[in-house]
Amino acid sequence: MQRGTGPPVELPGFTGPLDLLLYLVQKNDVSIYDIPIALVCDQFHDHVEAMEELDLEVAGEYLWMAAWLLQLKSKMLLPRVREGEEDPREELVERLLAYRRVKVLAAMLHDRDVVRRLLWSPAVAATFVPQETEVDWEDVDLRLLARTYLDAMQRFRAAHPPPLTVAPLRFRLRDTMRRVYGTVSREGSMALLRDLHSRADSEEVVVLVVATLELVRLGAVCVDQRRPFAEIYLRPGSKPLDEGRLSLEEEARGA
Amino acid sequence: MAPDELRAAVAAIVLTAGGPVRAGAIAEAVDQADVDEAAVEAVLAELGDRWSEPGSGMRLERVAGGWRAATPPELDPYLRAYHGVAARQRLSQAALEVLAIIAHRQPITLPEISFLRGVGSGGVVRTLLERRLIRLAGRKAVVGKPFLYRTSKEFLVHFGLDRAEDLPDPEELMGEERGGIAN
Repeated sequence: MQRGTGPPVELPGFTGPLDLLLYLVQKNDVSIYDIPIALVCDQFHDHVEAMEELDLEVAGEYLWMAAWLLQLKSKMLLPRVREGEEDPREELVERLLAYRRVKVLAAMLHDRDVVRRLLWSPAVAATFVPQETEVDWEDVDLRLLARTYLDAMQRFRAAHPPPLTVAPLRFRLRDTMRRVYGTVSREGSMALLRDLHSRADSEEVVVLVVATLELVRLGAVCVDQRRPFAEIYLRPGSKPLDEGRLSLEEEARGA
Repeated sequence: MAPDELRAAVAAIVLTAGGPVRAGAIAEAVDQADVDEAAVEAVLAELGDRWSEPGSGMRLERVAGGWRAATPPELDPYLRAYHGVAARQRLSQAALEVLAIIAHRQPITLPEISFLRGVGSGGVVRTLLERRLIRLAGRKAVVGKPFLYRTSKEFLVHFGLDRAEDLPDPEELMGEERGGIAN
């Protein structure tokens, strides 16, 4: 059920385009404040091309960076029009500086992780732990709370299943068949569509249609329609409606 | 209360607490007129000294606003052999970067984290949530109401920090290196 949370997939060596860029700056031993964009841009492209089988999302981030570098490269080729014009590299420098701070802090956390991964704290046997463990509010997060709520609701639903509601039977096929048969044999014919249109209840309409079909099948009535969509007339069929058979079929159908 | 008895009680509580325990909580549990938080702090400091001597299998450390008993790192091989468990998984570089960002700039949203790293970080954040190193801390009142993340108590314990603010400033960590590059 749980979605797999394996170790995050990383490119060999680099955790992202900024990481790669920072590496290139350091490898070329250039100042982060004065990056030779043309050089770095070409090297960045070479690296991205060498990275085969990039997963699409990650590849997109590298390609976005590559495109940005290309844009900067072309801007750097243009002469500065005005004095004191903003260096096009400024935003890139800021992002690299911010990212370098992240890396420095991450390196410090890494050093601590290496040692502190090895620490063990005394484990108290479960029998000594009170059943109602006190939860520190720091440990409560929204996810935990939401999951607990969903669990509770699920338990509640399992313990209180909704009652079965049985809708009362409003129209019986047998009664409708008798009525239609009665009308047809008494009056010689019956306009089915007119009758259907006069009824507002869709359930009643369905039962009436089924009853008619059933009567036709049994040969108790026959139908007559001059052309498509014209009125359908019901007329007496070749066989009388067999009451005994009607009851039997009803029973067999379980109605 | 006799000093020996207090020392024993403090050691027993710290060893069975299962996490960082505050001096104030120990004083409350002992419940003696002559034992206040300061007295417990003094006993804890003394206990910490005793446990840090060579030959001691347990250390006392100040983390997450309390005191916690933990084994010295060099005993890990014996403990793993006895308990029959593999070495604990190292945190990935991506996980460390996300932790660094959250620790330094909390509370912070996922889009902000991803922007700083230049790479989508949703999967890493989810893994860190599962490992309980970070926690949700409400939503930011901007379009889309993204979740805000903070480091957890577990983070402080794992990295041996008393408070999140005790993390060194990255600028300080870089020190002269930065000046060198700036020129």
